[in-house]
Amino acid sequence: MSSPPPKPAPPPRRAFTAPLLRRESIGESYHVLSFDLPKGLIAQAGQFVMVHGQEWGQAPLLPRPMSLLTSGTAPSLLIKVVGEGTRRLARANPGERFQLLGPLGRGWRPLSPGKRALLVAGGVGVAPLLYLARELVAQGRRPVVVYGGRSAQDLPLDDELARVAELHVTTEDGSRGRRGRVLVALEELLTSDVEVYTCGPERMMAAVAERCREAGVPCEVSLETPMACGYGVCLGCAFKTTEGGYAYACVEGPCVTAERVDFTQHAAVGKAQGVAP
Amino acid sequence: MSALGVEVGGLALKNPVLTASGTFGYGLEYDDFFDVAELGGICTKGLSLEPRLGNPPVRVCETPSGMLNAIGLANVGVERFCVDKLPVLRARGVTVIANIFASSVEGFVAITERLEAEAGVHAVELNVSCPNVTHGGIEFGRDPKLAAQVTAAVRRATRRPVWVKMSPEAGDLAAVARACEDAGADALTAINTIRGMAIDPETRSVRLANRTGGFSGPALRPVALRIVWDLVSAVKIPVVAIGGIGTARDALEFLLAGASAVQVGTASFVDPLAAKKVVEGLARYCEAQGVSVRELIGGVRSP
Ligand SMILES: Cc1cc2nc3c(=O)[nH]c(=O)nc-3n(C[C@H](O)[C@H](O)[C@H](O)COP(=O)(O)OP(=O)(O)OC[C@H]3O[C@@H](n4cnc5c(N)ncnc54)[C@H](O)[C@@H]3O)c2cc1C
Ligand SMILES: Cc1cc2nc3c(=O)[nH]c(=O)nc-3n(C[C@H](O)[C@H](O)[C@H](O)COP(=O)(O)O)c2cc1C
Ligand code: FES
Repeated sequence: MSSPPPKPAPPPRRAFTAPLLRRESIGESYHVLSFDLPKGLIAQAGQFVMVHGQEWGQAPLLPRPMSLLTSGTAPSLLIKVVGEGTRRLARANPGERFQLLGPLGRGWRPLSPGKRALLVAGGVGVAPLLYLARELVAQGRRPVVVYGGRSAQDLPLDDELARVAELHVTTEDGSRGRRGRVLVALEELLTSDVEVYTCGPERMMAAVAERCREAGVPCEVSLETPMACGYGVCLGCAFKTTEGGYAYACVEGPCVTAERVDFTQHAAVGKAQGVAP
Repeated sequence: MSALGVEVGGLALKNPVLTASGTFGYGLEYDDFFDVAELGGICTKGLSLEPRLGNPPVRVCETPSGMLNAIGLANVGVERFCVDKLPVLRARGVTVIANIFASSVEGFVAITERLEAEAGVHAVELNVSCPNVTHGGIEFGRDPKLAAQVTAAVRRATRRPVWVKMSPEAGDLAAVARACEDAGADALTAINTIRGMAIDPETRSVRLANRTGGFSGPALRPVALRIVWDLVSAVKIPVVAIGGIGTARDALEFLLAGASAVQVGTASFVDPLAAKKVVEGLARYCEAQGVSVRELIGGVRSP
């Protein structure tokens, strides 16, 4: 396996305050929020922001990490409601002010010359992958996407993906696409000329990473560790590395090569956090 | 001295706003945000003799108006701090308080001696109060005799001001504080986190891998204020306040209670510019009220 090209240096980070421009709901659990930011947020695919409502006061206290769906003068996020912070985001009205800190972390590594990108998304993990897919299309390198969810309701923005990629859908209940998890669709697509990018529930990413390792295909994962600061000072976002010790997802990630992540240690993280398999 | 300037145990600070250890990295993570030399000073992440990896994840979780952390004192070690971080801070004119911890008196002394060889460290803050490690830390902060031993040993090893960081969990905190004062401490800092816990009923599991963690943030503020208030009357040396401080109003509460300076902690996670905004807010307050920070210290009126 030849080593892929290095990541470009990330753009500078800023603390912005911006009003909500629009909120579009996709079913009950998913919402796309865009912000009015005339100065513009320059970012790379796979980077994230810490978002905090100025009206939240001290509860929720900490900002919430969210992958960028788009950047520029109207940066947007895809939110899945799981708790109080995401509930507030899902209820926010245009004009409500937010603090956005970003862009943070390291994005996806560039696709090697001559390779095709195979994106594997699980549910809300689609956000940084849709960003990447749009970027690849702009470079004339249309990707292949496997998009999985529990049911047809758990595939937000599938229509957007279909526009920029060759889309393969899987659902666990068979309500859309192939019945089963993403792995069922992955098998025949894992050829030697692809490089894989994946974001979704940790157990899904661990399984995808394992298949890629067996197939000798490079795999990049986007980690969702709990975070307090998002910019490298709290040391809360540690993930166990295969080289031993810990690395920090908000600085060295969230996008990292799967080979670096010790998923055996990480399954415990998902469990303690209540992350669905 | 400007309206904002203060003196803490022989160390002059351009303003009374520092950042709390473990919540501000090594001060070099702020390049994109602001010039940290504008602050009264920064307290480094706790430094040990050898680098430390820290605890397994999950290390942080949010609680009502606060958070729990069990980082486990992960740090680069004093050597790499001196080689990689300190020269940059020194060149920028940042006032650096080195926060250190060890599991033995000799360990505290060894780190202090290593720092003594470097210019650009303005004071040493002894963490005798970390709740998140099995050895090193809190046992020193609970026992007046042990606290005095560590303080005296470090005192002998450095020309610099020695600050001792108090555990809110010491039984008789005033006794520990006086023991540190008698052993030669130049200032006390208070408070470190209080041990707390959180359980997720959905998964029926403890949220932090370490099970318990240090509780910090705005919810801690009234407890910290009461402790600072008690310490101010227990000792003659200055007290530097920590605990849920994120705005100039919060800082004023502690200054009025008698603190000589404050440290901004968890608030920096919410907004990396929080400490800078506290400085600006204090400047506006002093200007509007026609007072200096020094005149405010201990100036609370009785009810
Ligand atoms: C780099 C990064 C990028 C992210 N991108 C997105 C995104 O694009 N869209 C999106 O909706 N979410 C994203 N997340 C996850 C998101 O940050 C959390 O879901 C959010 O912080 C939860 O906040 P809350 O207040 O709603 O829930 P809390 O009240 O904090 O938690 C509610 C429940 O959700 C669980 N939970 C907390 N964090 C996570 C997590 N990271 N994953 C799964 N469950 C969690 C908690 O354990 C708890 O059981 C991202 C996380 C990271 C680290
Ligand atoms: C993530 C985190 C890491 C910390 N690490 C240290 C440390 O290394 N050394 C130390 O003396 N205190 C440490 N503390 C304690 C803080 O310095 C401070 O005393 C405490 O958080 C209370 O202040 P706050 O409510 O403003 O955060 C840490 C606190 C947090 C939240
Ligand atoms: S989230 Fe604070 S260091 Fe990564």
